[in-house]
Amino acid sequence: MKLAVMSCIHGNYEALNAVLCDIDAQKADRIYCLGDLVGYGPHPNAVVELIRSLDIPTCQGCWDEDIVDGLNACECSYPSQLAEKRGRMAHEWTNKVIHPEVREYLATLPMTLRLDNLCFVHGSPNSQHEYLLPSMDGFAALERVLSADAEVLFCGHTHVPYVRNLEDCDLRVRVQQPSKNESENQFRVPLKRIVNAGSVGEPRHGRPNATYVVYDTDTTQVTLREVPYDYEKTCADIIEKGLPPIFAWRLARGMEFAERADDPSHVCQR
Amino acid sequence: MTAPSLIAVAGPCGSGKTTWISQHLDDRTRPLFYLDPGLGNISVDLAKIGYRFPWVQVILEQQAQFTLSTLPDGAVVYVELGFHMDLGSLFLGGLPCHRVTVLPPSLQDSEWHNWADEVVPGCAIAVLDAAKLPELWCTPLTGRVFDPPSLDDILIELTKGAYGHVHRVKGIFELPGGRAFYVDFVEGLPGIEYTELNLPRWLDGRPERFSGIEVVGGNLDQDVIAQTLLDGCLSDEAIAHYQEQYKAYPNLDSVTDGETDSEKEMFA
Repeated sequence: MKLAVMSCIHGNYEALNAVLCDIDAQKADRIYCLGDLVGYGPHPNAVVELIRSLDIPTCQGCWDEDIVDGLNACECSYPSQLAEKRGRMAHEWTNKVIHPEVREYLATLPMTLRLDNLCFVHGSPNSQHEYLLPSMDGFAALERVLSADAEVLFCGHTHVPYVRNLEDCDLRVRVQQPSKNESENQFRVPLKRIVNAGSVGEPRHGRPNATYVVYDTDTTQVTLREVPYDYEKTCADIIEKGLPPIFAWRLARGMEFAERADDPSHVCQR
Repeated sequence: MTAPSLIAVAGPCGSGKTTWISQHLDDRTRPLFYLDPGLGNISVDLAKIGYRFPWVQVILEQQAQFTLSTLPDGAVVYVELGFHMDLGSLFLGGLPCHRVTVLPPSLQDSEWHNWADEVVPGCAIAVLDAAKLPELWCTPLTGRVFDPPSLDDILIELTKGAYGHVHRVKGIFELPGGRAFYVDFVEGLPGIEYTELNLPRWLDGRPERFSGIEVVGGNLDQDVIAQTLLDGCLSDEAIAHYQEQYKAYPNLDSVTDGETDSEKEMFA
């Protein structure tokens, strides 16, 4: 079975349409979405309505949660004061234009989705806000996959796609209990994988093209897809809707609007 | 008695005029003066020369006529004429002077060639069309302390054209650890250069020494640039918090000290 996994659409309707067309062309059997349907982009309601109309299983992203619960960010949400100010502007704009039924739908989204030995999350199994960066410590990365009880953990949130194989992992566990001898267990963990789907609507890989992944459950092959779309239309809509023009300038260069995690050792406190 | 010498230095924006002058300011055998007319008291170059060469007397524009008429024996005065200054500027008036022009090697025939006594090869930059003089936008930033990652973002956006076409940026910026950096960007040359200025750390409130920025380009969205700079500045509370941290742990950023002792390029 071929799965298409996408994430971080951020109200970019043009990019979502282009990715859905590409998924059709790839003949994927099922689609999973890892959240962040809204935020920064000019068409949050249209994006949610399209996802709902196609009945695509979707996790709740950090931006979706913020629209439901309000801003309550850990320091990792924003790498700079400027990014925080822009993020807040985008949140306020989205919060103002979002339709009540869309907000209600975002509130119903689960934190994780499962399909057999596959787990789908937005950030990490711990939180929609936690970044699983490719440079994250190997033990911490393995802990996140094991905690999800999965062979493959699909995530987004970083906006840069990657595949990380965690192989030949030996774990040693020492247990100390009162009035019992200390015991030590050692076991080998079979291959685990983290697959980051990148971002449909807010890429950060230096080009404006949308990214997502195709996963073949039979062969376990992962294919990263990069899809060109009419980003100039989205840029024009950003300006027309009154969002900061710098969002359009950054989108056109694949620079992301504002958020950017840069500390692989940070544990999100949200 | 040795008569004062006046050396006027001109050339296109970013050709290396200040760099050429700086190479001659280590000679302390004669009284040295520096004048950068045309920008009032908010010239980044004036402040940079004053910070880097404290033995050089920088001449404020309103004091220029008086200072030039009362120069001590043996004085050497370097007058930097920015692209915005007329080569026949009254600043030079009737004073005898040696005229130096710093030019990109590819430029073979220009008004600077006609004007100069000496041509010095400078940076290999593209020379802007003389018929379309670019905009010069400058503002003092004295008292402002920048959030470093915000400043990085601002400079990347500014130099990559988010707020209009930018040919040149130079600035002096204060950072939370009490350190001040000179920032230099010239279109066509690689990267943005950060140089730490050899100044005492300012750890008591908002710095009262000069900092500022000059941007040369076209179609500059000046209001947005100004607002974005303000958005990257720290509040009084944040400045106080950082300063307490640096006072308590003076070696807090010693990891980067080695990198900032000399000029380094932060962006490829």
